Amino acid sequence: MNISELAARTGLKSVNAFSDKNVDGVYISDMVSDIITGAKPNGILVTLQTHKSLIAAANLVDVAMIVVVKGKIPAQDVVALADKAGIALFVSTDDAWTYARKLADLGLT
Amino acid sequence: MSPCTHQWVMTNIRHGYLVVEGCFRCGARSSYFSSEAVAPVEEYQDGKHSWIHLGSSQAVKFDLTCRLCGKTVSLDDMTALMLSTCTNPSCAVADLARQGGSSTWVYVALCGDSTHASGRCVSPEGIRALNEYFNQNLKSSSKSIVVVPCELCCGIDTCQGIIIADTGLTDFYAGEAAKAPHRPGGKK
Repeated sequence: MNISELAARTGLKSVNAFSDKNVDGVYISDMVSDIITGAKPNGILVTLQTHKSLIAAANLVDVAMIVVVKGKIPAQDVVALADKAGIALFVSTDDAWTYARKLADLGLT
Repeated sequence: MSPCTHQWVMTNIRHGYLVVEGCFRCGARSSYFSSEAVAPVEEYQDGKHSWIHLGSSQAVKFDLTCRLCGKTVSLDDMTALMLSTCTNPSCAVADLARQGGSSTWVYVALCGDSTHASGRCVSPEGIRALNEYFNQNLKSSSKSIVVVPCELCCGIDTCQGIIIADTGLTDFYAGEAAKAPHRPGGKK
């Protein structure tokens, strides 16, 4: 599934401009130290974390898309770093569990 | 030189704490990884240094193993990775980032001794394996990851970057840490 279709079907709000592409695989974590060992290239990262180190970690493992849950809005410097890294950044008003169920319902795991 | 075209995977993943200490006599900084349940907070004398606790953050350590030949590279000498954002014109790390352009991301592998007085840093073998590991699976074809040892920095206490560690989360345990028994010589 590509990013724009996923965003539309799960009610995401886009935070930055992004290049549409197919994504696969999901990882859920709020710890940047955990993200570098668990998230996969071209995957979706679901998190409550909004610190700039989130982008440093996600970029290192080539995450394609980050969904920040519970409506938290990343700060402008975080968005700017995501832009530079080419990572699509979205916000969901759902909590992590509710959003994960939406992804599972779409067949993404 | 090994004939194997390594395909690295992370192994021996350990979650714990990056503990940072400072010597209040000479200003040296030291960090080490602790796998204890609660991050150690202690003051102690170690030779000419008088170490005090500066902070802790949750962090991870790992090794790299080649799934083809079975070779394992220990990364015990690395305490954390840092995305360089340094712009100091005299910094070799910043220079690498400038030369690489916008698609090159330079990460610094931090060792435990900011002074490098021992002459050691993260091993060349470890740096080579880290570069191969983080680049082998990139899906963004234009992106490249460059990992360098912290001895290349213009000064690890002044070189700017974003450390991949969960600073602040250990605050949850501040009460427990204060009650924890004293453990002399926390560095292992």
